[in-house]
Amino acid sequence: MNGSDVAVSLGGVFSLIVPEILLLVVACVLFVGSTIRANRNLWGGVAVFGLFLAAYALWLTAAKVPTIEARAENGENISTMLFTSSILQTRLSLLVSAIALVGGLVLVLFSWNEVPDQHAGEYHACLLLSVAGLMVTGAANDLITLFLALELISIPTYVLLYLLRHDRAAQEASAKYFLLSIFSSGLLLFGFSYMYGMTGTTNIAALLDALARDPNRLPALALVALVMVVAGMGFKITAVPFHFYAPDVYQGSAPAGAAFLAFMPKAAGFVALLLVLGYTWIGGPVRGLALGPQVPILFLILAALTMCVGNVLAILQDNVKRMLAYSSVAHAGYMLIGLAVAPDLSYSTGKPITGGAEAVLFYLVAYSAMTLGAFAVITLLSTPERPVETVDDLAGLSSSHPGVAILMALFLFSLIGIPLTAGFAGKFLIFFGALAIPADQVQLSEHALWFWRLALIGAVNAAIGAWYYLRIVSAMYLRTPIKPIEQHPSWPGVTAMLICAAVTLGLGVYPWPMVKAARAAILSERSTDARTEPLAKTRND
Amino acid sequence: MDFDLATYYPIFIYLLFILAFAGGAMVAAHIIGPHRRTAVKLMPYESGMDPIGDARHRFDVKFYLTAILFLVFDVELLFLYPWAVVAYRQEPLLPAELRRIVFWEILAFVISLFVAYIYAWRKGVFRWR
Repeated sequence: MNGSDVAVSLGGVFSLIVPEILLLVVACVLFVGSTIRANRNLWGGVAVFGLFLAAYALWLTAAKVPTIEARAENGENISTMLFTSSILQTRLSLLVSAIALVGGLVLVLFSWNEVPDQHAGEYHACLLLSVAGLMVTGAANDLITLFLALELISIPTYVLLYLLRHDRAAQEASAKYFLLSIFSSGLLLFGFSYMYGMTGTTNIAALLDALARDPNRLPALALVALVMVVAGMGFKITAVPFHFYAPDVYQGSAPAGAAFLAFMPKAAGFVALLLVLGYTWIGGPVRGLALGPQVPILFLILAALTMCVGNVLAILQDNVKRMLAYSSVAHAGYMLIGLAVAPDLSYSTGKPITGGAEAVLFYLVAYSAMTLGAFAVITLLSTPERPVETVDDLAGLSSSHPGVAILMALFLFSLIGIPLTAGFAGKFLIFFGALAIPADQVQLSEHALWFWRLALIGAVNAAIGAWYYLRIVSAMYLRTPIKPIEQHPSWPGVTAMLICAAVTLGLGVYPWPMVKAARAAILSERSTDARTEPLAKTRND
Repeated sequence: MDFDLATYYPIFIYLLFILAFAGGAMVAAHIIGPHRRTAVKLMPYESGMDPIGDARHRFDVKFYLTAILFLVFDVELLFLYPWAVVAYRQEPLLPAELRRIVFWEILAFVISLFVAYIYAWRKGVFRWR
């Protein structure tokens, strides 16, 4: 590659990350500005302005630069771009960017009045940096870029958790999160270094291409890399052996911080897994099997453990934030089903059905909306004098705040998976995918049986989950308040709550546009062609 | 490229000079320095810390801030120095097409460090209180 190629590809990269650069510039303004004026309304407004600016830039970029899938469908030769560029504009990256911007807007809005005046600028700056990190995560096509994007999410998080509150619990929470997060980053880098060692490149597309060349003779190192990468991401998505920090950290930090943790690292972790394991690789479908045929079994075990432990432990909780922490662990388990199923789904039928990795993306959006909504309610009702900590604190909410109670009930019903909510649509797609592996093909019959059992475990867990969510609903509607909540909801918080409610209801009533977007992000024309069949079959033997 | 130990002789001279200087300074201090021994002076030197006792004790956050500030300037040097050496030589190591883009990248990097510097300054990190 000569100099002019490098210059062109560098220039191309910069034009793709204009929205992220704008977010960083606004974050710098917020950092410096926060030392001059302490005013939450001013800096919250600037942060919202920054998000809208980035959204506009994203809109322009998406209109101007064709996605790599669109280029491939037009018959352009994309291999140079695929194998040299460290940032790619894909349908996945556009979807993730949109999710990041909307999620960022919701987070800015509902921490608006929770963050103290003197820290408002810094808090919103950290938030914008993380949003930029999530946007880069979706577009990353290089292990180093991906790692930097994940760190761009993690490092502001350490600060952000502490800025909201300074009490002992918040100190413990941020220190705990910091230590475990850097540990998980270390594991992740360990795995990445093995992936580099096996292939000699850090470019994800080139790396997957090299691994897919000879899938039956992967070196044993691939297993080490797989385990390390999944463990490193496991911390971010709170999969079960790596979930221990979540309840403590969620409980210790302010509700806005807990909501941030429930959304940002989890979304980034799943997107990064989709990228690194090749679920979205356009060059040819390895469908998550890039690092070995053990992926479905590994994710199957993780999913079953995560669902069961998350749901059972959530029943035992009395603290709402702790309960939501375990609930977010359980929902990570449901999403892992999609990752486990995806490799077998992609070639088991002629026309791939929605249920694997694309269901994970759909569920991610649904989960984010309903969990952020539930945290928004808690944030809205909490005051320093009367924090909403236990289920009893929500008792009798329907009489004091009927509107808020209805929205909270909507979010909880969605978390249970009642029809006409986003949670139902998401669970339906996930479980449907697990049941859709045909048992009649010899090499798949064993997998099909296992996925059938996994779907059964998932259904049982959904029933267990109903118990603790309904406990909150019954407290809100059937009990009289012990000490009534007198907090009057503020307009930014209400706006955030309404955005979450709109997404929760919208995805439940009319999920098809989102399903289509998720499918387009995962399955491109080129990756469903005939070349995939022999490759995938030999890998499963 | 063939390896010739002789090409490294400046490094060995440098190494010898360092060792001689370090040893010489200690010997000279021992010979010509005044010897007034106090209990504090005879303690092992540990950057102002008490070397004996519980390791878990508090220290001033000022040290920590200084260390972070040091990073701002140190990392700056780490990136600027190779670029400054390579960018504008007579025989180009950096292709001409890349010069402009790398220049702007370096500028963006310096500006981001400058923002960090301004932030630290406004936060009062430079006031030793």
